[in-house]
Amino acid sequence: MALNYLASISHYIPELLVCFTMGALILIEATYGNDEKGSSKNMFYWGSMLGLLCALIYQVKGLGIEPTHIFTKSLVIDHFSGFAKIVMILSTAGVIYLSKISKDLYEGTKAEYTILAMGVLVGGMLLASANNMLLFYLGIETLSLLSYAMAALKKNDERSTEAGLKYVLYGGVTAGMMLFGMSHIFGVLGTINFSELMPMLSTLSTEQTAILIPSFLLFFVGIGYKISCVPFHMWSPDVYEGSPLPVTAFFSLVPKFAGIVAFARLTQVFFGGDVGVLKDSWLVLLSIVAALTMTVGNVSAIGQRSIKRMLAFSSISHAGVMMLGAIVLGKSGWTAILFYSVTYLFMTLVAFYVASFIQDHYGNDHIDRFSGLIKKHPVMAIAMAITMFSLAGLPPLSGFVAKFNILAAIIDKKFYVLAVITALNSVISLYYYMKVVRVMILKDAESDEQIGGFGFINQLVIGAYTLPVVLLGIFWQKLIALANGALLLIK
Amino acid sequence: MNAHSNLLSWILWMPMIGVLGVLLLPKTKETAIRVWSLINTVITLVLSGCLYMKFDNTVPGMQEMFTIKHSWISQFNIFYHLGIDGISLPMVLLTSLLFAICILSSWTVKKQVKGYFALLLMLQSTVYGVFLSMDFFLFYVYWEVMLIPMFFLIGIWGGENREYAAVKFFLYTFFGSILMLVGMVALYFVTGQGVDSFNILALSGGKFVNETVNIFGMALPFAKVFFVALFIGFAIKVPVFPFHTWLPHAHVQAPTAISVILAGVLLKMGTYGFLRIAFPIFPSASVYFADAIAWLGLINVIYGAFCAMAQTDVKKLVAYSSVSHMGFVMLGLAAMTVQGMNGAVLQMFNHGTSTAMMFLLIGILYERSHHRWIVRPDGTKGFGGLYTQLPKFSIVFIIAMFASMGLPGLSGFISEALIFLGIYNRFTTITVLAVVGLLLGAAYLLWMFKRMFFGEVIEENKSYTDMNAREIFYMVPLCVAVILFGIWPSPLLDMMKASVGKLVSLLATF
Repeated sequence: MALNYLASISHYIPELLVCFTMGALILIEATYGNDEKGSSKNMFYWGSMLGLLCALIYQVKGLGIEPTHIFTKSLVIDHFSGFAKIVMILSTAGVIYLSKISKDLYEGTKAEYTILAMGVLVGGMLLASANNMLLFYLGIETLSLLSYAMAALKKNDERSTEAGLKYVLYGGVTAGMMLFGMSHIFGVLGTINFSELMPMLSTLSTEQTAILIPSFLLFFVGIGYKISCVPFHMWSPDVYEGSPLPVTAFFSLVPKFAGIVAFARLTQVFFGGDVGVLKDSWLVLLSIVAALTMTVGNVSAIGQRSIKRMLAFSSISHAGVMMLGAIVLGKSGWTAILFYSVTYLFMTLVAFYVASFIQDHYGNDHIDRFSGLIKKHPVMAIAMAITMFSLAGLPPLSGFVAKFNILAAIIDKKFYVLAVITALNSVISLYYYMKVVRVMILKDAESDEQIGGFGFINQLVIGAYTLPVVLLGIFWQKLIALANGALLLIK
Repeated sequence: MNAHSNLLSWILWMPMIGVLGVLLLPKTKETAIRVWSLINTVITLVLSGCLYMKFDNTVPGMQEMFTIKHSWISQFNIFYHLGIDGISLPMVLLTSLLFAICILSSWTVKKQVKGYFALLLMLQSTVYGVFLSMDFFLFYVYWEVMLIPMFFLIGIWGGENREYAAVKFFLYTFFGSILMLVGMVALYFVTGQGVDSFNILALSGGKFVNETVNIFGMALPFAKVFFVALFIGFAIKVPVFPFHTWLPHAHVQAPTAISVILAGVLLKMGTYGFLRIAFPIFPSASVYFADAIAWLGLINVIYGAFCAMAQTDVKKLVAYSSVSHMGFVMLGLAAMTVQGMNGAVLQMFNHGTSTAMMFLLIGILYERSHHRWIVRPDGTKGFGGLYTQLPKFSIVFIIAMFASMGLPGLSGFISEALIFLGIYNRFTTITVLAVVGLLLGAAYLLWMFKRMFFGEVIEENKSYTDMNAREIFYMVPLCVAVILFGIWPSPLLDMMKASVGKLVSLLATF
C-alpha cells in the first residue's frame, strides 16, 4: 500500500529531524562560530545530541508499526530498516562525542565534522530504506560525497588530503560503474522500482538473463566498494589511516552498516524468489566474495603496526562476516546482521575510544604504544581486552554471539564450507587481536607518564560501552527477539 | 526441586564468589587474598564431598536429584542445564582436590597476587562448567572461557618464554574448539531445532546414522564428518599426536600450579569430551574410527615416551610423559569395552593425581634451585645426590614416580592393567606394542631419578632445604590418593561403573 505525501511524511520524521538538526547546527556555527567562549561549543554539541535523541525516539517509536511504502513506493519503512537506522543514529552520537574529546581533529573542524556526520547519517538512513534505484543512488552519493570531505578534514596533513582524494577517485569510478549497471537494468526491464523488478526477474528469457548478469555485476561494484569487500577494499586502509581518528571510527560504523543493510535488502528483493541462473550466479559470487573478504581482511591485519590500520582491515573482515547474513536470504540472516551490527557498534566504539586516548598522548597509534597499559589505566586496558576478545569471537562476549548467529544462519542453509572458513577466520583474527591484549597486559610500559584526558566522565563512557559487550554475550535473549522482528517488506 | 538440586550450581559458582571476594580485597592484603582463596576452595571441596556422599552408584545415567535445567536463550532452545553421572563425578572431585592444593602451593607467588588468585579461581569455575554442563552450548561457552584465564596465567606468571607459550596454547585450542562450534551448530539444525537440540543427553544415542551432508556436491555421512570435527577439537586438548605440540611449551613456561592444573585437569577435558559428547552422539562414527583412535593412542604412548627420554629439562620430561600417559587413556577409549573404558576413566583420575605430584615436586625443587636441568646445556649435572640432601622430598618423589610408572600397589597400575585387559582382545598388536611404552616409561623415569637423586651431591645442591610443613601438608592428600586407590580402587570404580557400562552398551549396538 502506498501512502499520500502527507501520510508519507509521518513515517519520515527521523530523517527530517536529522536534516533539521543539520540545518540548525549550520546556523549555530555561522552565528557563534567565531565566539571565543566555550559556551557556544557546548550549545553546539548539546544541540546535535538533542537532535539525534529526538530522531532516535521517533525511530524507536516507529519500530512497532506495520511495514509500509512511502513517497510513491520509493522508500520502504519496515522493521529491518528501522532497526538499522537506530544503530546508525547511536553510532553517530557515539562518534560525535569521540570527536569532541579527540585531539586528532583540529579545534576548528570539529563543528564541520558534526555537520558532515549528520549529512552522512541522512544518506545512510536513505540507503537503508531505498526501494528504487534512484533513491539507492542518491543515498550512496549523499553518503559518499560528504565522506570524501570528512576524510580530508585534517587540512594541513598530507596523508589526510591524500585519503580524501583517494576516496573521491575510487568512489567516483565505482559510482559511475554502478550507475551504468543500473541504467542497463532499467534499459532491459523498463523500471527502476525494486518491487516491480522482482517479479520480472523470474520471467526473463535466456538472452535477457545473459544481458543482465554483467549489469548486476556492475551494480555490485558500487555497493561492494561502499562496504569495502574484496576486491574493492584497497582504498579503505589508506583512507582509514589518513583520516582523523574520529572519522575512521565513523567510517567503520555508519557507511558500513548502511551498505550492508542495503546489500541485504537488494539481495533479498532481487533474488529472494526463484530466479534461476541469475540467483545462483549472484549467490556463488557473494559466497566467494564474502570468503575472500574475511580472509584477506584478516590476513592483512596480522602484519599491521598501527592500530587504526589493523582495525581497518579487521572491519573489512567483519563486513565479510555480515555479508554472509545476506546470502542466507531469510529472516535468520537479517536477524543475524542486525544483531551483529549492534554488537559491532559497541566493540568498535570502545576500540576507537581507547585508541584515541593513546594516539592523543603519544602522537601515533602503533600497537607498541599500548604496552603496559594495564598498570597505568586498568579500566582502559580491561575494556580494550574485553573488546579484543569479543571482536575475535570468544564467549561469553557479544562478539561470539554475533558470530554464532551468523554461523547458525548459514549452517541452516547448509553452507558448511563457508561456515568452516568463517570459523577458521576467527582463529586468524584472534591472533592479531590478542597481540593488542598481549602488549597491554604482558609487556612492561615504555614510560611512567600518565595519559591525560582520561577522566571520570570518559572512564564512565568507556565503561558504558563495554558493558553491552559483556552483557549482550550473556543476556542476548531480548535483543535477538527484537531483531527477530526483522520483517522485510518486499511487495 | 529438592534439597540437593542446587548443589551443582553452588559448586559451579562458588569459585566465582571467590573471584568477587578477591577483587574486593585491597591489593596490599596479600595474605588475606591467599587465605580467602584457600577457604573458598576448601568450601568447594567440601561441597564436592557432599556431592559424593549423596551420589547413587547404581544409577547408570544422570542423577535425577542433582539435575538443574533453566531456560537461557529460548530462541535457540539453549538451557542452563547441569547434571552429573559416574563419568563427571570423578573429574569434579579431582578438580576440587587439585585446586585446593594448587592454592596452597601458590602461597609463594609474589607477583600481582590479587590477579593471580582471581584468575585461578575463575579457571576453577570454568572447569566445573565443562564437567557439569549437559547443554552443548553451555559446555562450549565454558570450554572457551577457560582459555582466557589460562592465557593470562601462563602469559603473566610463566617462565622466560611465557608469551610465546601462552599465545600458542590459546590459538591452538581455539582452533580446535571453533571446529567443534561448527559441528555443534550443524547438529542443532539436523535435529530440527527442537527443544532438546543442544541437550547432550537428548542428542546422544546414535540418531544421526542416516543423515548425510553435502559438501561441494558430495553427499558425505553426517556422523563421520562431524565426528572428525569434534575429534579434532577434543584431540587438541588431550593432546593426541600430531596435535600435541603446544603442550611442552605451555607446561614448561607455566607456573607450577598451572602446570598441575593443565596436566591434572585440563587434559582430561579432552578425553571427557569424547566420553560425554563425541562417543554418545556419534556412536556409529566412533566405532568406525576406533582403529584410528587406537593407533593414534599408541603413537602417543610410544612417541611421548621417546620424547620424554630425550629431555634434559625435568619439567619437559614430565610434560612428555603426560603425552604418553594420555595415550593410554585414548587406548582405553578406543577399546570400547567395559574394562577398557573403566580403565580410561580411572586413568584420567589417577594420572591427574600422580602427574600433579610430579609437577608440584618439580615446582618445589625449582623454588630452591631456580633451574630444572637434569643435565645443563654445557654438559654439567644440574642435580646430584638429592636423596641424601632432601630425604623427605625424595620419598614423596619416589611415590609419585612409581605411581606414574604404574608399579603394582600404586594407582597407575590398576588403570593401566584395566586398559590392557580391555583392549587386548580387540587390538592385540597394539596392546603388545603399548606395553613397550610402559617399559620406556620405567626407563626414562628411572634414568631421571638416578641422575638427579643418586651419586655425588653437587656443590650448589648442598644449600637446599627439605620440604617445609606447608609443602608436606598439601602433598599428603595426593600421596594418600595414589596409594589408597592403588590398593583399593573400588570407591572410584563403583562410582563410574554404571555410567561407563551404559556408554559401552550403547557403542556395542553399532
